Amino acid sequence: MSIFTDIYNTVAKFFRQSDEPVIGEASKAVAANRLKLVLMQDRTNLTPKVLEQMRGEMIDLLSKYLEMDKDMLELNFEQEGDQVALMLSIPVIRAKDEDEIEAATQSTDDLTEEDCSEDDDLEQNEDENVEENEIEQAVKPKKRRSKKITPPEDFEGCNEEIITEPNELDCSSSSNEDQNVVCESTEA
Amino acid sequence: MTGRVIVITSGKGGVGKTTTSANIGTALAKEGYKVVLIDTDLGLRNLDLLLGLENRIVYTIVDVIEERCKLKQALVKDKKNPNLQLLAAAQTRDKSAVSAEQLKEICDTLKEQNDFVLVDCPAGIEQGFQNAVAGASEAIVVTTPEMSAIRDADRIIGLLGPKEEITSVKLLLNRVRPSLIKTNEMMSVDDVAEILEIPLVGIIPEDTGIITSTNKGDPIVNSEDALAGKAYRNVAQRILGEEVPFLDLDEPKGFVEKIKNVFAKLKAKV
Repeated sequence: MSIFTDIYNTVAKFFRQSDEPVIGEASKAVAANRLKLVLMQDRTNLTPKVLEQMRGEMIDLLSKYLEMDKDMLELNFEQEGDQVALMLSIPVIRAKDEDEIEAATQSTDDLTEEDCSEDDDLEQNEDENVEENEIEQAVKPKKRRSKKITPPEDFEGCNEEIITEPNELDCSSSSNEDQNVVCESTEA
Repeated sequence: MTGRVIVITSGKGGVGKTTTSANIGTALAKEGYKVVLIDTDLGLRNLDLLLGLENRIVYTIVDVIEERCKLKQALVKDKKNPNLQLLAAAQTRDKSAVSAEQLKEICDTLKEQNDFVLVDCPAGIEQGFQNAVAGASEAIVVTTPEMSAIRDADRIIGLLGPKEEITSVKLLLNRVRPSLIKTNEMMSVDDVAEILEIPLVGIIPEDTGIITSTNKGDPIVNSEDALAGKAYRNVAQRILGEEVPFLDLDEPKGFVEKIKNVFAKLKAKV
């Protein structure tokens, strides 16, 4: 019996593709994804200091409306298909009530002038009883290549300019009913 | 005559800048063009070794700059091809012995008398890199399909972008191993080109012949049969503006291999 299995195995081995992936099959995909992320960070000159400052300012803003676990706040770049997204993940303990928000808003208004357009969005969410709010903002993969390499007339300027281009960016944050504020870039 | 000044750079060391410079230079010279190779890796010169010219060097680029000799005296003619000349780096000095302006001046002078001036850039992004790039109007970024080399290449591309004198930045992917790409263990040419977003000028397969050609001081483009030699000759053709298809790097398949593939396809269908 064993002789037959031996022969079978030998024959089967012969016809099996020699370079058939066995282990480490996806290692190239892992490498490509890791690289895309690290290059995204390399290309946007966002230093850890700037990221930390962004994080701090986001905490300040959001703590007006939400009581949250500040230590668990995560701010990361993530790859989503062809885009790189800035992911902010905050465990929410509870939403603040109106009086608290009023007080917090007034106290910060004295200090700084805030743009209120974003606040409206967040107030809608105030009553929703959610454990975790996730605010995603797709960051345009920064085209820092020179004009010579990829002639992009429409990438001349900074991000604000791109946002005014309706073809380039579909910004749906104002109409978004759920708790995710998503700005999506249509450009691959 | 105004020649083209092309810098060959990479960021990371050991990816094949010097091998690439030697081979592209030799290939262009074989086509009948007058070529000067400049080794700007002061203190770590190797281009002379790859060309087999290490015993012929009397004056170096630093001697030219410090006016101990004329530029013409420092140019070493290749053994096989008088169209190819080398301006060697000084082995006993460091990168600070030369300034970007001085190198630009040398490139400007040389391009008047030659069709091509190829500048072999040192690794890194410091002064050595800035010097090497100063006189160039085109750049070839050499990388391998490894993460660290690609990341460094990206950094270099980012640094070359704002330089207005540089009108073309192209990618040369070196040491490609088709067998690893096939098993998804190495990033493919397309993956790398997509990530780095610059046009490809060449794909060079990993070739053990490179080692023996370095040992002999004879660039691999001189051996007609070697696949890497053929790939480098194609790069030279592309630099000259020819449309040359990229080599099919899949290993030549024998009869047994073909049968195996048929069975593999059948198996995949089932």
